Amino acid sequence: MLKNYFLLAIRNLKRNKVFSAINILGLAMGLTCSLVIMLWVLDERKIDQFHENKDRLYSIFEKQMFDGKVQGGFGTPGPLARELKNILPEVEYSTSMGWDQKATFQVGDKVLRMPGNAADSDFFKMFTYPLLEGNVQSALSSPVSLAISHKMANAFFGSPQAAFGKTIRINDRKDLTVTAVYEDMPLNSTQQWDYIINWNDVWETESWVQQWDNNGPKTAILLRKNADPALVQAKIKHYMDQHLDKNGGWKVELYMQKFAERYLWSDIKEGVVSGGRIEYVRMFSLVAVFILLIACINFMNLTTARSIKRSREIGVRKVVGALRFGLIKQFLGEAVVVAGIAMVLALLLLFLALPFFNQLTEKHIEFPFNEWTFWASILGLVIVTGILSGSYPALFLSSFKPITVLKGVLKVSPSANWFRKGLVVFQFALSSLLIIGTIIVSRQVDFIQNKNLGFNRENIVKVSLLGEPQRYYELFKQQVGQIPGVTAVTRAEQDPMLIGNSTIGIDWEGKDPNAKPLFSQVAVGYDFTRTMQMKMVDGRDFSKAYGTDTAGFILNETAVKRTGYTNPVGKPFTFWGIKGSIIGVVKDFHFNSMHQPITPLVLHLRENATSGYALVRVQADKTKSVLSEMEEINKKINPKFPFTYDFADEDFKKSFARETMIGKFSNCFAGLAIVISCLGLLGLAMFAAEQRVREIGIRKVLGAGIGSLFTLLSREFLVLVFIAILIACPIAWWAMNNWLMDFKYRIDMNAWPFVIAGIAALAIALFTISFQTIKAALANPVKSLRSE
Amino acid sequence: MLSLKHISKWVNVGGKPNFLLKDVNLTINQGEFISIMGPSGSGKSTLLHIIGMLDDFNEGEYSFMDQPVHGLKEKQRSALYKQHIGFVFQAYHLIDELTVYENIETPLIYQNVKSSERKAMVADILDRFQIVGKKDLFPTQLSGGQQQLVGIARALIAKPQLLLADEPTGNLNSKQGEEIMDLFKQLNKEGVTIIQVTHSEKNAGYGSRIIHLLDGRIEQEQ
Repeated sequence: MLKNYFLLAIRNLKRNKVFSAINILGLAMGLTCSLVIMLWVLDERKIDQFHENKDRLYSIFEKQMFDGKVQGGFGTPGPLARELKNILPEVEYSTSMGWDQKATFQVGDKVLRMPGNAADSDFFKMFTYPLLEGNVQSALSSPVSLAISHKMANAFFGSPQAAFGKTIRINDRKDLTVTAVYEDMPLNSTQQWDYIINWNDVWETESWVQQWDNNGPKTAILLRKNADPALVQAKIKHYMDQHLDKNGGWKVELYMQKFAERYLWSDIKEGVVSGGRIEYVRMFSLVAVFILLIACINFMNLTTARSIKRSREIGVRKVVGALRFGLIKQFLGEAVVVAGIAMVLALLLLFLALPFFNQLTEKHIEFPFNEWTFWASILGLVIVTGILSGSYPALFLSSFKPITVLKGVLKVSPSANWFRKGLVVFQFALSSLLIIGTIIVSRQVDFIQNKNLGFNRENIVKVSLLGEPQRYYELFKQQVGQIPGVTAVTRAEQDPMLIGNSTIGIDWEGKDPNAKPLFSQVAVGYDFTRTMQMKMVDGRDFSKAYGTDTAGFILNETAVKRTGYTNPVGKPFTFWGIKGSIIGVVKDFHFNSMHQPITPLVLHLRENATSGYALVRVQADKTKSVLSEMEEINKKINPKFPFTYDFADEDFKKSFARETMIGKFSNCFAGLAIVISCLGLLGLAMFAAEQRVREIGIRKVLGAGIGSLFTLLSREFLVLVFIAILIACPIAWWAMNNWLMDFKYRIDMNAWPFVIAGIAALAIALFTISFQTIKAALANPVKSLRSE
Repeated sequence: MLSLKHISKWVNVGGKPNFLLKDVNLTINQGEFISIMGPSGSGKSTLLHIIGMLDDFNEGEYSFMDQPVHGLKEKQRSALYKQHIGFVFQAYHLIDELTVYENIETPLIYQNVKSSERKAMVADILDRFQIVGKKDLFPTQLSGGQQQLVGIARALIAKPQLLLADEPTGNLNSKQGEEIMDLFKQLNKEGVTIIQVTHSEKNAGYGSRIIHLLDGRIEQEQ
């Protein structure tokens, strides 16, 4: 029986090559799309899931309430991790972790910069990173311990065995001993570290992490096997009360989140986990289902349309004794066979598309050749798709009355027509939805990309000041400043586009003593606003010409507004206990993600800070020569560290990489959805033309012109597409409005994307059906009438 | 073999019944060769379809081989006709996607005949109709007469007692037509009951009895 289905399916496909090509190609594209998204979603869901203790491994995050605001984040006080392990019997292990950062390592003459972090000695007992050398007890037990990846061990010593026990110098500051070599952290880990140093090293060098009222380090805990997470949560919630000044005007609550969930649920809004990438995972899962549905609907419509040609066969089969159930089985069988063929094609397409897709999403998804679950789901998908797409044709075709079809007049019932029209509307509504979404996403990404940030982010080279910049920065600035093509040099302790530090250690005249407003702060060098080409609203930049600038502060407009000063320049301002005054007001500029509003900001002068970046403004055409000269200068004055730089512009782009990726992603899928829908429409136009061959013939005999026939045949479809657009618009408006709400700075919703999408959908639809309708309109009426 | 009593069929046009068949009484015995004649629209095909159980009727009683057809369910009816009745059509109605061999085999598949038996039966009939050489061709590769031959072979493959033919020679030239009618005559001699609808007096002459229909009534029997 199966062989019979297969044979018939193949013969039918061969007989109608164009039709079969449309049908299979449409389905294959839909399947490819769904498979790609399926692989992506599976990959996203696999991230950080490989830790054996993932069910007991938690991250701690804070909910902070102050100055009438609620916010939160994963930055916690430095002493928290150890304290939690000491006081809570439920906590088996705990660790603090610092910041993902690159460090410079040196062995002999070999100098390399590697990304890594710091962690407590419990780290390897909590996270699953198999050790090649060393053991979990001693891996990070002393302040000079160093755990390195297989890759780093190979880079310095040739093998993990050779690396074990050796000495490596870090940042030309301290000698460390390799106490463990771990297997390279897998690609589906959010931690991509080639080294881990002991947390004590951070504790000692950055003394601020020892205080309870500073936040920054991440805290992770591992609960004991039988511990009740709810109980632990209750215990830690108000734990911070005892460590914070009750009259300080702020309150902190602690919460736990499973470490394995952090990747997808990373957004904390007002102290509550509110989503993150999971929204995109869900969105694209939905898109995958949509596209598969569109493809299946196509298949249904095309097969049903083709059924007119097959109706006679059905009639004959019934007359010679086929039962309806048998016919349903036959058509479903054929549909499954076609779905199978489409799947083979889809797998081929998937294989070809994966590298491109990986590039787009910066993933490393491989074709899962040897995962049986993948093949099982492929099989499942074929059967489900086959049955889904074949069910309507099967039920519809098998319901034909033999004598009616054998007489040659097949009048399709109005209900069947409604059903098919409904499918077209549904299909085009989905497509319009995707088009509108795509337009809005790309406009928003465009908006951010071209938004005036309040400074000129182009042609700024950001040089990492490695080692001890307090010793060489002045010389560096002087020498770099003389390179032809360099127009200005300054420095900042943090990336000026990602200023994350903030403080409540501020005061001004007339401030409410109970209020504890949080001001962002960054230490900068002389000529900062000039180099960044920021606009001064009032006052002046930090300058060597004035000796008193260490007690002078530049505030942004938002900060000035918060202080309430009307003529701010010269007014007293206290920062970290330094009583000084405001020397300038800078126009608000964006120093954080576009998702965040601009907050009050204090710029303070620290020309001799011990870390940070030099910011060098260069002339666009001289970038290359400036870079090589800067490298030479670095070699002379800071020989132990490699010259490390970025372009501010590119860093900026990274800050909304997720949105850019989503934009590209949805472009692809919206395009595909439209193509697939059009294939379906093409099929339907063929169907309609076939249905009305006689009518068209008669009209032609009566003198109808091609134009009027074209209008007659097209009108019906255009009305359907129009209805689809009407349905899609409010849904799209609602969904995209929600998405835009996530951005503090966003485009205004207006009618244009909807109008453009509508016109595009109508035009594409018209173009598609015009082939068939013109063909039908041009056909010789004698032929069509004779066949009656 | 079968009897129709007071069979009427109508469709409602503008609220008024429009009779396709009106009070038709007909008894047909085993071994007869009956020709139904009449002008267009007289109800010939409708009558044939009702006899073949492909169409319903509104009134009357129909018993086929002592079974009351009007009381049977769809499934039983289908089982009954696929076992006892073979159909031949004016337009042959072969399945274009199937070869000659497969077309002839199809009814046997629906009657759950075993594969080996099917082979033997189809081989027999191919042999008998002398179309063995054509068995792997598709219908579109055959002439009209040959297609009708395949159609008849398919109708007879399950050894039905009754053969219903709706203008079997309507699409054929006179020579091909004659051959088909000779074949019918031969089959009738072998015991197959045949009912054919025809426009042609000459073809009707092959039969043992002619029924004339006019406006849905039996006008005359010869």
